[in-house]
Amino acid sequence: MIRLSMMMALLAIGSPAAANMADQAHRSKVDGIDLITYRSNVKDVVVIIGVLPAGDAMVEAGNIAIPTLSGMMLDRGTKSLDKFSISEKLDNVGAEITFTVGVQSLEIRAKCLRKDLPLIIDTLAAELRTPALLGGEFNKAKEQFIGELEASTQDSSVLASEAFGRAVFPEGHPNRPHTLKEYIAAAKTANLEELKAFQAKYYGPAHMTLVVVGDVSDADTQADVAKAFSGWSGGQDYLRAAKPAAAAAASELTVPLTDKPSVSVLFGQASGLRYSDPDNLPLRLGTAILGRGFTGRLMSTVRDKEGLTYNIGASMGDDSIVDGVWEVSASFAPALLNKGVESTRREIAKWWKDGVSEQELASRKQGVIGGYFVSLSTTLGLAETILANAQRGYDPSWLDGYPKAVKALTRDQVNAAIKAHINPNAMVLVEAGSVAAPAKSASTH
Amino acid sequence: MGWTGLAVLVLGSAAVQAAPDKPTPPPAAAQGSAGFSHVKSLGGIDEYRLDSNGLTVLLVPDQSAPVVTFEVTYQVGSRNEVTGTTGATHILEHMMFKGSDAFNDTKGNSIKQMLERVGGEFNASTSFDRTNYFATVGRESLEGYIAIEADRMRHLWLHEADRQAEMTVVRNEYERGKNDPENVLLEEVMEAAYVALPYHHPTIGWKSDIEHVPIGKLREFYDTFYWPNNATLTVVGDIETDAVLGLIKKYYGVYPHSPAPIPAIYTEEPAQSGERRVVVKRPGELGAIIIAHKVPNGRDADQAALEMLDAILSSGKNARLYRALVDQGLALTAASGTDVFRDLSLHTLYAALTPGTTHEQVERALVAELNKIKTSGVTPAEVASVKQQYIAQDAYKRDGTAAVASELSEWIGVGDWTLYVTFPQRVQQVTPADVQRVAKQYFGADQSTTGWFVPVAPKMEKGS
Repeated sequence: MIRLSMMMALLAIGSPAAANMADQAHRSKVDGIDLITYRSNVKDVVVIIGVLPAGDAMVEAGNIAIPTLSGMMLDRGTKSLDKFSISEKLDNVGAEITFTVGVQSLEIRAKCLRKDLPLIIDTLAAELRTPALLGGEFNKAKEQFIGELEASTQDSSVLASEAFGRAVFPEGHPNRPHTLKEYIAAAKTANLEELKAFQAKYYGPAHMTLVVVGDVSDADTQADVAKAFSGWSGGQDYLRAAKPAAAAAASELTVPLTDKPSVSVLFGQASGLRYSDPDNLPLRLGTAILGRGFTGRLMSTVRDKEGLTYNIGASMGDDSIVDGVWEVSASFAPALLNKGVESTRREIAKWWKDGVSEQELASRKQGVIGGYFVSLSTTLGLAETILANAQRGYDPSWLDGYPKAVKALTRDQVNAAIKAHINPNAMVLVEAGSVAAPAKSASTH
Repeated sequence: MGWTGLAVLVLGSAAVQAAPDKPTPPPAAAQGSAGFSHVKSLGGIDEYRLDSNGLTVLLVPDQSAPVVTFEVTYQVGSRNEVTGTTGATHILEHMMFKGSDAFNDTKGNSIKQMLERVGGEFNASTSFDRTNYFATVGRESLEGYIAIEADRMRHLWLHEADRQAEMTVVRNEYERGKNDPENVLLEEVMEAAYVALPYHHPTIGWKSDIEHVPIGKLREFYDTFYWPNNATLTVVGDIETDAVLGLIKKYYGVYPHSPAPIPAIYTEEPAQSGERRVVVKRPGELGAIIIAHKVPNGRDADQAALEMLDAILSSGKNARLYRALVDQGLALTAASGTDVFRDLSLHTLYAALTPGTTHEQVERALVAELNKIKTSGVTPAEVASVKQQYIAQDAYKRDGTAAVASELSEWIGVGDWTLYVTFPQRVQQVTPADVQRVAKQYFGADQSTTGWFVPVAPKMEKGS
């Protein structure tokens, strides 16, 4: 049994180098970029991660393939260097820069040695500011994108997620996904002029956040960023939903697939909450008690006691910028599907009706806080937490504020949040796989 | 919780470069650790042996964060299984979470209850050559975890009711793997490439064995392999040597050496005398190809040259496979890598086809790239670039205790943990001539096993 005093000892040492972790973070505006640097104990290693609002949801009426294609064009050469020369430059110092495109953001990840940080920031700036955008490379990016999309059209988890997102979020909500078919059709007709216009409008420092963590000097990093991004302008803010999504009516959807002996299941609803809403953290803790880890109620019963699944869990997400989702995900063999869904429904209903116990909450709070500090023990973990906090609207002091907020939660707060925001009678159920008798086929595939 | 072995080499790429070349004396603080013999120290890693029972301990002090990763690696994997018990190693790994005499759900102190209460990151995995159990926790929680890990080494509960519940869990893990046609393709390529060695069967086992292996067989497996002299403990992080050795002696010192020798595998793979081919036809959209060749065991000196060859073929946009296949629109991705094993390892070339491209085209392109290395070699600039990448990886690998412990566990499985330190040094010694030599030596057409995943149109399910 781990006593509370031991946990407090962990909290006390959780800050590797300072009484408050936030004291190690330095936030500044550099040429319009929100730059956060953090000097950690690691030697020589620097991790750079960042975001700017240029994700899939940005093209409300335009070609939906353009944001991803824009991101794919960034490592395909700049005005001054072709893609092979850039790759060679990075390879020769063992550094990496990658770009991915999410719902709302273009996401940047880079890793290098301390000595190479100026080179990496220079390269990153050139890729963002002056991409070559050659027609031949654009066609290759399109073919690559279409191929990747087509490869996903038999993936049960991708299709379950697509059908679920479209069922719980209404038209116009930033979190409502397009279908694979829509993306494939859009990619086929995308043109370079649209892409150039997109980059001109959305790529800029105005709402960009860059987090640099590791063996760094705050002043040197600020100077490097200032030099590389000097004179850059533009950029748009994130999309904010006019009002939170309401829970959709209860529904059951099936995505039938051949030769998929494990059925991907999603079960849940729009949460109606952003991360920064007061009820979010209590509901997150309540959700963790229901379905996080091996001791969550779902794993304890549906997997451990009943042996119905390899994996089942409950979570909240997609809520950093707009209201997000509450969901249970699981996989079942077709023969055990009905039993598995029934058990899942039973556990959710019990959780909603009776709430969580004092003991469960105390234990989960300890675990969440302990896990938080373990996650901060790597440079990447620290960088990801700082960036997530920034996207959610928090300053670096939330590094220290988060565990305190978790510790202060009460059972009444958690149970009230569950009752207020979860409706067991308005759940969307999606089953994707070799399901013999579908309830209602999803229209998305 | 399977591990195919491919990760060994990927992680191997991140090995220590700045480590000392030769063994160093033990740290002064550990000289008086009664009951332990210091075996060797290399690259900041100290190896000890618990005299009473042969338990091996690797200590890697790192005070950069107040956390510790503790990992126990058993020298048993699916290579120790035979027909009827395939998958037993993996099922036993699952059963290790069902409770032991002193730590179980009934007492409220089981491993998952303890570790989730303190926020530990934990799991277990089974591969062809080893099984491991690991957690990263705040340093104050280390003793609690060691106590549980030690108790389940010899006092595990193995109840038939638990096996029945866990069997369907494992079967669903098996089914999830079968959802992925490329995973199925790799399994079938391995089944064809290995005739005699137990790498022939997948680590997760055949479905019928998963369903029917009796609890008595699992008990037999446990009582054969779960002993201190068949295990290595790796402790990485904020530790003091004497204190952690004291804890290990306290909890593991109570066990004797195994009553019988740990069984050795004496099977050898017969020479392959011709090209082998497999075709997997499943619903899907795009095809894939794997071209596999058996190469020496993971400890062999030629592995460094093979690693260099793999990086030149597939690391980054300048890599030869990217230029020849991806940039030419033949493949969505293309890769070269080696699953490093205790016995004969497996080298694979892989490509995922683009829409409209034929298997023949892509296979020709993959083989052509191998042949270019056989006939014309690689350039000094290519070799120099890969060596520079290793120097950076040296620093990256030390960022996080779990990653260090995980890579060490894979080398333990291969049979020599010191390769964690020496393998990157070997890579620094590789010459262009070495790369050309291994390409000629190991990549003959008659020694190849080629697998095609051929997508077929999905049949509509009843009722859809």
